[in-house]
Amino acid sequence: MKLFVCIDDTDNYDSIGTGELLENMMGEAAIKGLAKIGFTVRYQLYIHDDIPYTSHNSSMCCTAEVKDREVFTGFCEDYLENNSAEGSDPGLCILTDASEIDYTSLIEFGKSAQSEVLTKEAACKMAEKFGKDIHLSEHGGTGSGIIGALAGAALRAGKEEGRIKGKLQPLSGKTDWTASEFASVFGVQRFVDEEGNEITDNISIRFVHPTKLLYSKGLITSVIINEGGLLMLKPKIKKNREKR
Amino acid sequence: MTNWTIKDGKSIFTGGKDSYKAAVQTAESCPSFSEDCEDELFCSDAVSCYNCRYRRWTTESFECIKRRQK
Repeated sequence: MKLFVCIDDTDNYDSIGTGELLENMMGEAAIKGLAKIGFTVRYQLYIHDDIPYTSHNSSMCCTAEVKDREVFTGFCEDYLENNSAEGSDPGLCILTDASEIDYTSLIEFGKSAQSEVLTKEAACKMAEKFGKDIHLSEHGGTGSGIIGALAGAALRAGKEEGRIKGKLQPLSGKTDWTASEFASVFGVQRFVDEEGNEITDNISIRFVHPTKLLYSKGLITSVIINEGGLLMLKPKIKKNREKR
Repeated sequence: MTNWTIKDGKSIFTGGKDSYKAAVQTAESCPSFSEDCEDELFCSDAVSCYNCRYRRWTTESFECIKRRQK
């Protein structure tokens, strides 16, 4: 069975972040033979004073393939109970990944979490509509993390755009690639320019700075920038434009 | 010149999200600076309030959590 797994509000200012906790949790699940895990996508949720996020209000969602959903869910619940940071408000969402499910209303919920202040009640009401296909649970504090957890799973189910956790490092000794070579080595499925226009030609690209991948239109995507006529992988963090 | 304004008891950076030089200068003299996790780094300056784990983003800028606690 394929699943989307999302957690939120598990951290405090001095703990590891929620993304790292998710990776640790999934890594342990994999070691125990409970799940095969996919990559993690970060979704930016709404920045607003009325939302009790720690520092950036992002939600992290990964995919998993499990044999026994009940056992896997129990493991995740126990993991969050035992490893979430003091003072945090953890929430867990496990959503079935299946083509026959109509996620439309859920995706709308996820998108609204990127532009509105939502409530736990709204999250629970939405989750109820999906019955056994959604597990949504609180694990301490106010439990308000269920809002972001549900939103993150919803956005992932909707193939909405987010950043893939982690980065690609340039390989020593090789800076110039064709798009097809790069795609083959790094698992990239799509190239776009900075405006989001798809690049389909087998262009030559330079890879000299760490770069991040996007999850966009359901595909692992690299962003290509044009630096004075040279096509390059977009650096993972933006260069400062301010004059010094 | 101070880079902070107090709003509802919170210290908000007056430079918004595009004052890299001020964010670097402030972080370099701050004993509490601590780099955030890799996925949340904002700019290419190693030491910058924009990359600090103790900044809480707001719509226009960020709040310094360490200054709130002082």
